[in-house]
Amino acid sequence: MAGIQPQKPERDGFLPIRTNGFDRGFISAVILILVHLLWMRFLEGVLPLWVATVLCLALSVFIIRKG
Amino acid sequence: MRRSGIASFVLWICLTILTLLPVWWMLVVSMRPRVKLYSKSVLIDNLYWDNFLAVLNSSTFLQYLWNSMVVATSNAALVCALGLLAAFGLSRYKISGGDNVFFWLITNRMAPPAVFLLPLFLLFTKWFVFGDFMLFDTKIGLILLYCVFNLPFAIWLLKGMLDGIPLELDEAARVDGATTGQVLSHVILPLARPGLAVTFILTWIFAWNEYLFAATLTSSADARTVTTALAEYVSVTGTNWGEMAAMAFLTTLPALVVLGFVQKHIVTGLTFGALKG
Amino acid sequence: MRQSNIGWLFLTPATLILFVVGFIPFIYILYVGFFDWNTNAVDPTLRWAGLQNYRNLVFDTTFLNSLARTLVFAFFVVVSELLLGYVLARALMADRLWGRQFFRTIHTLPIVVAPIAVGATWRLLCVPGFGIVPYYLKLWFGIDYNISTNAYHAFGTAIIMDLWHWTPFVTLSLMAGLTALPKEPLEQAQIDGGNKLQIFWYVIVPMLKPVLLTTVFIRLMDALRSVDEIWMLTKGGPAEATRFIGLHIWINVFPKTDYGYGAAMSLLTLYVTIVLSWLLFVAMTGRKGGAQ
Repeated sequence: MAGIQPQKPERDGFLPIRTNGFDRGFISAVILILVHLLWMRFLEGVLPLWVATVLCLALSVFIIRKG
Repeated sequence: MRRSGIASFVLWICLTILTLLPVWWMLVVSMRPRVKLYSKSVLIDNLYWDNFLAVLNSSTFLQYLWNSMVVATSNAALVCALGLLAAFGLSRYKISGGDNVFFWLITNRMAPPAVFLLPLFLLFTKWFVFGDFMLFDTKIGLILLYCVFNLPFAIWLLKGMLDGIPLELDEAARVDGATTGQVLSHVILPLARPGLAVTFILTWIFAWNEYLFAATLTSSADARTVTTALAEYVSVTGTNWGEMAAMAFLTTLPALVVLGFVQKHIVTGLTFGALKG
Repeated sequence: MRQSNIGWLFLTPATLILFVVGFIPFIYILYVGFFDWNTNAVDPTLRWAGLQNYRNLVFDTTFLNSLARTLVFAFFVVVSELLLGYVLARALMADRLWGRQFFRTIHTLPIVVAPIAVGATWRLLCVPGFGIVPYYLKLWFGIDYNISTNAYHAFGTAIIMDLWHWTPFVTLSLMAGLTALPKEPLEQAQIDGGNKLQIFWYVIVPMLKPVLLTTVFIRLMDALRSVDEIWMLTKGGPAEATRFIGLHIWINVFPKTDYGYGAAMSLLTLYVTIVLSWLLFVAMTGRKGGAQ
């Protein structure tokens, strides 16, 4: 497995690893799901869920552009 | 070096005993008549075969045994054929997006089966239905399904072996006017035969061993396998330990038989060819 | 290497079959997870439920405990197998050894035994009143060992069973890794006067890292999904002491036929598995940021 060389264009952003487009999209999705689950558990009584969605989408755009 | 050799030898002996103890105990229990079952000796007192005979005389168990044979053999054959093609493609051609294929195949092998039980159950009972034919509770369903974990395994085992066949042989055959199909059948296939045999045996064993899918996606003697027989047996007849041990031993038997042939390749296969055993 | 399009042709049959039995179920379960669907309910059709299944799920303590228990189990199992496997691999590496091939073969045995038979065997060993393990523990050490009433004993036995089942694999793969290591850096480090711990940490571990990570990856994924052995050994009990996540899904979804909720459970489990495996995969391909 060590022999696999990633071929897609990669770059250094603010994320701690070199990433390609797929990685950044993946990270965004993982964070989006995680935030939504935690939000439903702890915050939904106070703030509606769409706030989480908006926040996460903003973060996703940021990660995909700059990550 | 001498001393470490002896220490190493002693350690090997201890480990071997530890490894064999559970299997040995299973054999001991399977050879005990009912009256002696609760004896705590770890030695076989006398050769007593009635437990095995009882299991092998049950027509349901024989049917299950046959099902397992059919499923494992067909699945191993299918996986070897498709795996050889895929491994040939991966080994001899530069494939764009090979990385992604690799990760996707790993995902297939590594995904928890329990997660896919529900969708597969629903698909098998409600969607993959053609007239009277339903994929649920058929051997074909299991044969296709076991490709999920066996095919990636086979591809990586075979790719490692095909990579070891010099490319010059292909080129020489092509210069002589062979088509790609002829290269595959006349050059690669004969040379890959030992590798194919190992792959066949290992995938056969994994298909034979599988329980969760078989238990969920079959319901009648038409398709149930030996592993489900063993599990059913435990829940039905609580304390008939002798027969249960005999059944467990029969389930383990194929693994014991082929162990010597495949021992070298297991590590390579399980680590996606990352390690040579 | 020849041109790429024909290469894909050879991959097509394999990909196609994996698409049908691997990918379609995933998409389907993603879809079902958003619905309220119980075939035994008054209304056995799919009704749109939005995120309600997931909302229930994050408050389902049985599920969450089961997930946490699985992670604890996987952690214990992977760490102890790695330590044990490394020690054994080093100890067993003697160059010339009588019967080496024989020992290796015996050692491979647990890997190929059917998990369900492993569970049955360990049940024969450990079941109270019948097995030899409780009997001799009582006789020699006076320990009341009972996997059907004591949660810790059951959990511990599950771990030990997994150690028996998979430590040989770790040992063998680490042996393969150690054998393939170049000798020069090790000798150089010895000449430079490094002690054993330093050599281990600064020379062996970095060189062995790909092998270690690969092994951890495979063991972790396997530990997260073990069902068969546990089912045979304890049926997930006593109470829920050994009910790991795969078992939880399996014994809950099918009797209750609450498919929407089951889909949500399965998906959340898959989510955890994928995140863990992706993190390890990134570590394995060694994509460090910064200097590069």
